[in-house]
Amino acid sequence: MSEHDEIRTPVSLQGISSDDPHLQPLSKNPQLVERVIAANFLLGLLLVAAFGACYWVNAKPWTLGATLGGGLFFLGVGLVAWGKYLMPRGPFVEERHELATSTEDRNALAAAIVERGGGVVKRRKLLGGLLGGGVGIFTIVAMFPLLRSLGPLPKRTLDTTDWKKGTYLVDITGRRVSVGDLAIGSIVTVYPEGLQNSDRGQAVDQTVLIRISDEDFTTQKGRETWGPAGYLAYSKLCTHLGCPVGLYEQELQLLVCPCHQSMFNVTNGALPQFGPAPRPLPQLPLYVDASGYIRSQSGYKVPVGPGFWERS
Amino acid sequence: MTDVIDTKRAKKQALGPYGKVGHAINELDERLGVAKGGRTFMDKIFPDHWSFMLGEIALYSFVVLVVTGVFLTLYYIPSTDLVTYHGSYLPLDGQRMTEAYASSVNLSFAVRGGLLMRQMHHWACDIFVGSIVVHMARIFFTGAFRKPRELNWTIGLTLLILAIANGFLGYSLPDDLVSGTGIRIAYSIILSIPLAGSYLAFWVFGGNYPGTAVIPRFFILHVLIIPLIIIGLVGAHLFLLVRQKHTQFPGKGRTEKNVVGTPMFPVFIAKTTGFLFVTTGVIALLGAFAQINPIWQFGPYTASRISYAVQPDWYMGFLDGALRIWPSWSFHSWGYTIPLEVFVPSVLLPGLIFNIAYVWPAIERKFSKDNQLHNLLFRPSDRPKHTAAGVASLVFVAMLFIASSTDVLANFFRLPLNEVLWAMRILVIISPLIAYPITWKICKEIQAVQGGGKRKTANIVSRTTEGEYVAVPAPAYADDVHQELEPTPVPRYIVESDEHETTTGVRVAER
Amino acid sequence: MTSTFLKKVGVFGFAALVGVGPLLAFASSSGASSNPHTAYQTTRKNAGTPNSSKVVKNPSTGVVISYGNKYITYNAPSTALVTLGQALFLQNCASCHGTEANGVPANGTSGAYPNLVGLGPATIDFWIDSGRMPAANPRAVQAIRHQARLTKAQAVAIAAWVNSLDPSYPDIPTPHLKNANVSDGAALFALNCAACHTIEGDGDALANDTYAPSLRDIPAFQVVEAVRTGPANMPRFTGNLSDQQVDDIVKYVTTEIQHPENPGGFGLGGLGPVAEGFVGLLLGVGILMLIAYWVGDRS
Repeated sequence: MSEHDEIRTPVSLQGISSDDPHLQPLSKNPQLVERVIAANFLLGLLLVAAFGACYWVNAKPWTLGATLGGGLFFLGVGLVAWGKYLMPRGPFVEERHELATSTEDRNALAAAIVERGGGVVKRRKLLGGLLGGGVGIFTIVAMFPLLRSLGPLPKRTLDTTDWKKGTYLVDITGRRVSVGDLAIGSIVTVYPEGLQNSDRGQAVDQTVLIRISDEDFTTQKGRETWGPAGYLAYSKLCTHLGCPVGLYEQELQLLVCPCHQSMFNVTNGALPQFGPAPRPLPQLPLYVDASGYIRSQSGYKVPVGPGFWERS
Repeated sequence: MTDVIDTKRAKKQALGPYGKVGHAINELDERLGVAKGGRTFMDKIFPDHWSFMLGEIALYSFVVLVVTGVFLTLYYIPSTDLVTYHGSYLPLDGQRMTEAYASSVNLSFAVRGGLLMRQMHHWACDIFVGSIVVHMARIFFTGAFRKPRELNWTIGLTLLILAIANGFLGYSLPDDLVSGTGIRIAYSIILSIPLAGSYLAFWVFGGNYPGTAVIPRFFILHVLIIPLIIIGLVGAHLFLLVRQKHTQFPGKGRTEKNVVGTPMFPVFIAKTTGFLFVTTGVIALLGAFAQINPIWQFGPYTASRISYAVQPDWYMGFLDGALRIWPSWSFHSWGYTIPLEVFVPSVLLPGLIFNIAYVWPAIERKFSKDNQLHNLLFRPSDRPKHTAAGVASLVFVAMLFIASSTDVLANFFRLPLNEVLWAMRILVIISPLIAYPITWKICKEIQAVQGGGKRKTANIVSRTTEGEYVAVPAPAYADDVHQELEPTPVPRYIVESDEHETTTGVRVAER
Repeated sequence: MTSTFLKKVGVFGFAALVGVGPLLAFASSSGASSNPHTAYQTTRKNAGTPNSSKVVKNPSTGVVISYGNKYITYNAPSTALVTLGQALFLQNCASCHGTEANGVPANGTSGAYPNLVGLGPATIDFWIDSGRMPAANPRAVQAIRHQARLTKAQAVAIAAWVNSLDPSYPDIPTPHLKNANVSDGAALFALNCAACHTIEGDGDALANDTYAPSLRDIPAFQVVEAVRTGPANMPRFTGNLSDQQVDDIVKYVTTEIQHPENPGGFGLGGLGPVAEGFVGLLLGVGILMLIAYWVGDRS
């Protein structure tokens, strides 16, 4: 055994007497502590057994947790107390060995890498270069199935919704909304007809339809025909992070997003008034057809939802 | 008859002085050579300070996570296929929902012990991340991250990030209304990354939101990929701890070159196993009495539903808070948009915080010009600037967490919502600036007090004739058990004493 | 002007900019704040006409006495209560809403208080029954729910008188919960109500100083009244929710919201992850830290 190994095994080779104070328990009254610990163990044992019984008779979930938790807790407390109060109190000491090895060993390792390894590559630079290139290209192309196959390219998917010219507005049950349905101060979530239960209809096309009074209505430039009979339709996707903006305060005329409290003013084209949303909610142009149903004049004029790089 | 006794005694003597245990060790050592290493391992000394056990809380709550998690994986179905629920919870009866949600509700109501396992799993996760933070704070404030332990600091910080990420993935798996909203926000955050955002979002989610891939992918990340990395890193973390040995506070008999405490076997094993039971017990009691994440009340997630008061789980709160208070500045030019109102608070800011944390040991080395090995810790009050910087950073992050609950605060205290938000914007900037000098001053004051915070006995205060107060610690009383003995090496064997009193409970082996 | 003075000014100015600048930038980004007291609801006539199967009219006057179906029945307040109603109104309400119930008090300006004419009996009944009216603090942004000051009979009487000024809808509802489907109600609640009242029904703070109240204590008929009339900032749901759907929502609110099963233990106030975080950190990590403090040394 070299001197070095000695340092790495700092195990004492001496003995001590059994009445050495280090081996005595910490507690001044070990018998009493032993009885307390025994009581803890007994209680823990009973509770853990009770867990089995509760499970067997399909008792309420809280009984399962109470028995299991209480049982383990008392067993644990007892075991900890045993270790702390009844076992040898110590303290014991152990020498730290020097973490670093000797200078010779460090130099030997460095030499192995630099001289042996480096020497080999230095003599065969072409091989080294080609191998490096091969491995490098491999790491790049290995990413292809891992990343690219995960999903399609976005292309222009984020820019469009399914609202087109003449799409009927329907609610979640699929019923078409007609012009007499909503009172002033009313709100309903609408989707393009047929898509109300589809992922895309819910996630991308979702729109809130509200009706405001003539006094509150402010005609926006270029949107004169978009809001017939006081009906306004805005994309329900918040322009901050895409949460549905379902919170409508009819007196304040605000659409509030519940996620981060962006507030959009309903009367002037859903301009954001407070909070982190940067852009107004896109408005869906509406018209009322001959049968009294509300339909969209066209799709949204701008992409809905939160911002992304290609959003022009 | 005597033949039998002879054989028994002969067999006993053949086993050697340590009986069956010795025989087993002989067999193992001949094949594996474990004797020396085993003895070294058993003699490993662990210092006893209570703050060194905080990492154990994290470790044991992780054990609970794995055990309860295995149970959950046996019943949870990671699929977004739609099914109609016909179970015991009537408000959902007849509703269409994903299999992921249906199986989670099934776990809660139809599987015996399922609700307890779900709740224990969720509470264990909250406690896991909380204890990592507390443990990390202890490491920071006592200087345990210094050379040679910078690598362990890095591993630990990575574990924190992985724990937070895995928690997010895990609570998103049931696909309920509240966690589904979180997934939508995650999609938008990925989207906000300049140049690559839309590609990354489409690749992670398999297309436009919501797609059908996200739940199965989150599942495999949550139960396999990230736990494997966590287990590997925890193993490395513990290996480094064993190899470099634990740090300790300066004190009686403690130097840079030794470790004073209790040996691994049997004392530390007893205490730490007991602590494992206690941790599991506390988590089970929470799982029994405190309802957490009642997904049946939230209902299944559909993209056009939303609830108010939907904060994420607490450890994600700093992101949610930052997103709420950050103003709506967005960059839009030349046909391109950089959503700074999303990108900065949810990507750049946490990136900055974690990167500063990662390089902190290097920053500290540069500022203190200290490149030496340290195995002794310092007390927080001994390094006022360091402690003040740490407290200021914690206060800053804590303010972000509080900012995540602006609406709940406004409702609870009946304050206007807009004003609460403004107050949080101001507090986030001001409170670290206030916390730093206050902490610095408190540290200085503690240093000035003689032996502050360390005494075990009363101080005898006397007044000099000039009017100055002098505090002198009173002498310890004779049989004070809290007085430590002088440390001694772990004994190889224990010699039987002449008196055979067995009050100690120490078993004596014959040599 | 010495150079040190200029330096001081420069340093101070820079510090002020660094300190105040972000706050100014925050301020400029929030935009103009809206006036919280915009016009109260003015148009009443299209508050929603009854679209139900059973309509009972007074044979002599032809006025609708009640309408409804097996889900909800709406009853008009008896015209016999009109005189009593007017007396009660003058006593309790006229000081703000005026003797003509048109929102013009004796020496006040028009529009200071809501015009109650034509709002329908259900509106009047809701505000009085929920204790919000007579208003404890007329200047408050939002009236707070109270123990009702007037009895149900008195509320109906006042509703009868106000309705007599300009008869309108909706009438005072009675939901029939045994015909309701709680599962449909849960789905409708999640889509329409949870955005303000939270999915657990505890309510939360809304813009400026308004809030959505908790639904834990509200009787069934008041849920219908609130949904149909849209009090204060709450939107009203008339033609976009049928009586069957409203009945389902009421059943869900009065069973699951008000009496949740909570099989997992204490509901933690329904505050969701905020409360869970508190409990997890303070109770969970806290207790374990205390136990560690007991186990380990304290030197």
